[in-house]
Amino acid sequence: MSDESANPANPLHLHLSSGPHIFSGRTTSQIMWMVNLSLLPALLWAWLVFGWPVLAITASSILGCVAAEYLACRITKTSSTIPDGSAVCSGLLLAYTLPPGISLWMPFVGGLLAMFFCKGVFGGLGYNVFNVALVGRAMMMATFPVEMTTRWLTPTLGMGKVDAISGATALAQLKLEGYEGLAKMLAAAHDSLQLWFDFFLGMRSGSIGEVSVLMIILGAAFLLWKGIIKLYIPLSIFVGVALMSPFSAAPVVYLLGGGIWLGAFFMATDYVTSPTTPKGQIAFGLGIGLLTGIIRNWGGYPEGICYAILLMNILTPALNDWFRPKRLTAGGAPS
Amino acid sequence: MSLFRWHKSALPTFSRGGIHPDEHKELTEDLPIENFTPTTVSIPVSQSLGAPAEPLVVKAAMVKRGDVIATVPGGGLSLHAPISGIVKGVQSGPHPTLVYDTTITILAKPSEGGPEFAEQPGWQSLAITQMLDRIKEAGVVGLGGAAFPTYRKLMLPKDAAVDTLVINGSECEPYLTCDYRVMLEESERVILGSWTISKIIGVKNCIIGIEANKQPAAEQMRKTIAALDLESMSPAVKMSVVVTQTKYPQGSEKQLVQSLTGRLVPKGGLPLHVGVVVQNVATAVACLDAVRNRKPVIERVLTVSGAGIKTPKNLRVPIGTSVEDIVIHCGGYTGDVVKILFGGPMMGRTIADLGVSVTKGTSGLLFLTEAETNLNSYQPCISCGECLDACPMGLEPNRVSQYIEVNRPLETEQFGVKECFECGCCSYSCPSHRPLVQFMQVAKAAYRRQERKAK
Repeated sequence: MSDESANPANPLHLHLSSGPHIFSGRTTSQIMWMVNLSLLPALLWAWLVFGWPVLAITASSILGCVAAEYLACRITKTSSTIPDGSAVCSGLLLAYTLPPGISLWMPFVGGLLAMFFCKGVFGGLGYNVFNVALVGRAMMMATFPVEMTTRWLTPTLGMGKVDAISGATALAQLKLEGYEGLAKMLAAAHDSLQLWFDFFLGMRSGSIGEVSVLMIILGAAFLLWKGIIKLYIPLSIFVGVALMSPFSAAPVVYLLGGGIWLGAFFMATDYVTSPTTPKGQIAFGLGIGLLTGIIRNWGGYPEGICYAILLMNILTPALNDWFRPKRLTAGGAPS
Repeated sequence: MSLFRWHKSALPTFSRGGIHPDEHKELTEDLPIENFTPTTVSIPVSQSLGAPAEPLVVKAAMVKRGDVIATVPGGGLSLHAPISGIVKGVQSGPHPTLVYDTTITILAKPSEGGPEFAEQPGWQSLAITQMLDRIKEAGVVGLGGAAFPTYRKLMLPKDAAVDTLVINGSECEPYLTCDYRVMLEESERVILGSWTISKIIGVKNCIIGIEANKQPAAEQMRKTIAALDLESMSPAVKMSVVVTQTKYPQGSEKQLVQSLTGRLVPKGGLPLHVGVVVQNVATAVACLDAVRNRKPVIERVLTVSGAGIKTPKNLRVPIGTSVEDIVIHCGGYTGDVVKILFGGPMMGRTIADLGVSVTKGTSGLLFLTEAETNLNSYQPCISCGECLDACPMGLEPNRVSQYIEVNRPLETEQFGVKECFECGCCSYSCPSHRPLVQFMQVAKAAYRRQERKAK
């Protein structure tokens, strides 16, 4: 009302706004950077067993995503949203879904295209329909099918002294050669306890960020402790996959192999592309788990979590409509 | 600490949502109520919901403390002179919510004297209608902030089956400690006021709800109840103190009724639809003053706090005391004040004119620095669901905000806009700092416009 500059007796610059005037202190960028932090154990492990190339691949993917974010901000003439950490997050997650032996320029292209067409075009943070990292992976599967399915490395403790290209991931072996093929591959060096241990700790061939269940759990525990993610989605994904595991010849490999741990805790829990209510999240997770099983068992790919999440992303707005929060006062008008 | 959410407190609370903001009550909770009377007061004629009062006094008239200076022609709440003195003028002045309002300014003249408002013998045996008349004459409104005329709340509809009076000592807004001080220092008046209201609405059961962060007040109230021998009064009223969890918005009527009685107020209904009347502790005191002493509401206790004011205080000031006088009395500002609030930081309103004066509904005057609030602009909704978890009514602020952003306000009723009482839990929790309460207000305004057009 009174113009401060015209009234020297009132040196205050008072702001007018609707309440509330205090806030919890948590910000969107804080959340994004905490997610990024929680992803680091998995990267550390990948570096330990696959060597330096994984860091370069991750950097290349992040660079692609950040470049696309920069471009989108320039084109839409909005202030840069790179510091909010979401582009870095998408870059990290995309890299985690790639084989550790992939050519360095590919993640850059994948990140750039995914970030621009899946997020920038839709309006940036909060407006994307699909999980950016998974769209990136799906695009790369279609564009670079050979590199995406063959450039696996054999894990060796000691930062990749042995850079042998390994044959296939356990799930691919199961798909192509059946149970006997898988058993032959795994039994070569291991007894069954060792098998559990390898899959849990991460001494198996697979994508950069998915191999170590332990490291994923460490990161997820941090996010749970900070209240950033809840267990509804991950647990119901595991329930869904477990329901489908009897159809598989090797349930242990089925549950610990592939990318379901990474997908359940870090991809499916993405706020923007998942439902907001507990019931919606449970339906969402079950859907992902069942679709993953269907794709793995009867589809053309050895692993299905990526497409399962993308398919359920489409359903998110509907799930938000179907599963609403419970009102405190459900009753009708007072008598 | 979300990992430990299953560890639930044994204290009662409401069933859904709520937040735990930093309390900041330590700034003023140990400061006794201090009296402060300025040399001039400016009383806006709109002090409560309903039609504004019309001034009865003109410039240069002499008034005594408690004289009626404005009335509502069709019947409504009168305004009384908060101090004795001379009317300096009747003109337009700043108002905390209406921006501008007709304002009566009185220059203090202590030599004029004024009534003592001594206790009237036999007040306890007055008829209920006489008590109600006195409460109406005294201009009592809800002093917790809503400023709804109290006599109207206490005049129950014929078919109402009310069995419980809830006295609201929750004071769940951060910073505010005025109700706490009143409960500590004037517990006897609170209890007798509660007894008076119980008699008026004809209930035998009165529950005083106090949050767990105000244990000394709960003990004081319990001691006073034991000392007063209420059982021997006629009618006898069973009074109890219930300590609730400290959780905002515990002091909201519907939430408090659920915490204390387990009853759910129906959609669009009032506590009296489930047999409960809720009154704030300061209102109970005002009712006692009106019935026992025939003292109108001419002053109130409020908390002056925030990092931006040099000496925070709990003050008893005449209605009409200006912000400027209070600032000077409290030693001026420290640091950069970016917001001045009437009320608490959750539901309070910002003001931009130091000439604004305290009204009957002003429970706090806060001077917030930039570190205490947030002036950043907001970002898109990331669908984190924090607002859904925080909303005590189970509404969907996120979706309302998205509809408002694309200018579709009349499609938001499905998300519960009309049940929103603007407690602010959603905006408080939003990591994108979205002004969700304001979006709700925009939607409500659109519905009001539509209703007006339909008439």
